Amino acid sequence: MWFHAVHVERAPVLAGEGPLRVKARRLWGTTKDVFSRGSTAFGAIVIVLLLAMAIFAPLIVPENPRGAFQMPRDLSSVAVPPGTPGHLLGTTRLGGDVLYGIVWGSRLSLQLSIYVVSGAVLIGLVVGSTAGIVGGKVDAILMRVVDVFLSIPTLVFPLAIAAVLGPSFANIVVALAVIMWARYARIIRSQILQVREEDYVDAARAIGDSKFGIIRRDILPNSFTPVAVQATLDMGHAVLLGATLAFIGLAVAGQAEWGTLVSEGQADIIAGRWWTSTFPGLMVFLWALSFNLVGDGLRDVLDPRTEGR
Amino acid sequence: MHRYIGRRLLGLPLVILMVSILVFTLTRIGGTPIGPYLEPGMTDEEIAALEERFNLDEPLPMQYVAWLGGVVRGELGWSAVAAAPVVDVFRQRIPASFELGAFAALWAVTLGIGLGTFAARRRNRMGDQIAGVVAVGGASMPAFWLGIILLIVFWSYLGWFPHGRSDSVIWNSLPHPTNFYTIDAILAGNLNALRDALWHLVLPALTLGYAAVGIVTRMMRSSLLDEMGKDYVDAARARGLPENLVVRRHARRNAFIPTITVIGLSIGIMFEGTVVVETIFGWPGLGNWMADSVLSGDQGTTLAFVIFTSILFVSLNLAVDVLYGYLDRRVVLRRT
Repeated sequence: MWFHAVHVERAPVLAGEGPLRVKARRLWGTTKDVFSRGSTAFGAIVIVLLLAMAIFAPLIVPENPRGAFQMPRDLSSVAVPPGTPGHLLGTTRLGGDVLYGIVWGSRLSLQLSIYVVSGAVLIGLVVGSTAGIVGGKVDAILMRVVDVFLSIPTLVFPLAIAAVLGPSFANIVVALAVIMWARYARIIRSQILQVREEDYVDAARAIGDSKFGIIRRDILPNSFTPVAVQATLDMGHAVLLGATLAFIGLAVAGQAEWGTLVSEGQADIIAGRWWTSTFPGLMVFLWALSFNLVGDGLRDVLDPRTEGR
Repeated sequence: MHRYIGRRLLGLPLVILMVSILVFTLTRIGGTPIGPYLEPGMTDEEIAALEERFNLDEPLPMQYVAWLGGVVRGELGWSAVAAAPVVDVFRQRIPASFELGAFAALWAVTLGIGLGTFAARRRNRMGDQIAGVVAVGGASMPAFWLGIILLIVFWSYLGWFPHGRSDSVIWNSLPHPTNFYTIDAILAGNLNALRDALWHLVLPALTLGYAAVGIVTRMMRSSLLDEMGKDYVDAARARGLPENLVVRRHARRNAFIPTITVIGLSIGIMFEGTVVVETIFGWPGLGNWMADSVLSGDQGTTLAFVIFTSILFVSLNLAVDVLYGYLDRRVVLRRT
């Protein structure tokens, strides 16, 4: 398979080298390939910075005692411009520190994207492997359902679901996972159909491996690459869509959420107060951009069939 | 070919039916959509009567059948936000959204094709890198932020472009037979109104189209690169055709075929995008109305809008596939 072809070429097994070292060296070779492109490396650096911000949030801006994701209200300095002492990026009309919103918003975005993507992968894994393994009528019906989910609008549909469920963080997660799982189901099913025909799976079957063992040892590892690429891209999409839903008004008001902050700042622009919207929106852009860049980079190296697309 | 189209057309209602069941069920998770109809001080009996009137006391499958029956008769319910029947509001608001979408698509497709061609011809050089940045930016740009940045710079700060769809004085000064502002202005021969219409379109069309620019650029670039590597392109070069003509007359024509698929896709995405863009720019179209309806808990309108969008998506997919089949005969041979 191409996966090995790439690595054999770059990292031949040297005499007297243990399997673990070969694996490590191949992984290093792939990593170097992925990040040798400037845009991918840039994306990776931005991701590392964003994750660091999310993880070390309490060290950058102290947590609001009334709730970490609740915007603090400093009523003594309302709508002050960036550069004001104590409010590096200014404050909102309600006295919320924009820097606080950005820093704690990154933690909220990280949670959102991890929940949404893992939920979507899990559903996709169950549906996709059921369809691929059981086959027949079950496969036909499940794939029909997948088709329907792939053809529904990706913004309006979660908007409707989130609206019905009521404004909350959890409901945005649910609404986004519901539209994102179908692609994973399709990837995993097609991997199963493809891998099933490979000689080494026949070999595993011949030596008496159980069906479950084959799935776990042969099929799932082979599905990993396309799922990882899609998941990286979806980490960005989830935050972009989630912030859009929040901007429209489906998040809890007053939260340190980027889309919500942009929405709050919307009313301020006529008064010339540009900062409330500008900085949090920039964060959404950076988040989506960095995951898109890395996802594209991964796909180009790991999946040469679509190179350059 | 005709058999293929026929089969797809027969499948269309099925997909739409499944989408509508899905959406209907999911939008009812939160309970009955009676909220917007309730008035303070209503007795329990009055509420019950109201629920009976809208079939909300029946089991969910029966409600769905009742709703579907209404759709077939052309009744989509009542929009509480617009205080008018949903069908009427749709008819009244479609032109504004359509006009915005058309201008967004126009610049997105033109720029996307141009930029994609440009990038493919300068593969891995500076120009290609810049086009790549523009393209990936389109996929990552939150429309709500781009719109606000444009408003901050060009409306609030520089004052070059206006907010909204029209100057109300100019709008009221001419008849509106079509409700397309540009067309109405041309019909009335009113240059001032045409200028007003176009001026108001610039910022929202830029915002709405940017996501599509990225999609079209990427596809155009990669499919042109595919074509440039083929034998017939070498043959054309060998005949001594200038490179410009090799690209324009030969390679690019074939590269358009896959690009058309993503143009169809982008139109769907742009239609959805109106929910955000129209809200930011105060544009009196469908998206703005949808956002208001969603926020006020008006489920009837939400449902109608989601299903309308889904039908648009499915139909666009079909139209693209059929068009693809006509343009690329090989597809047909394989499928029928």
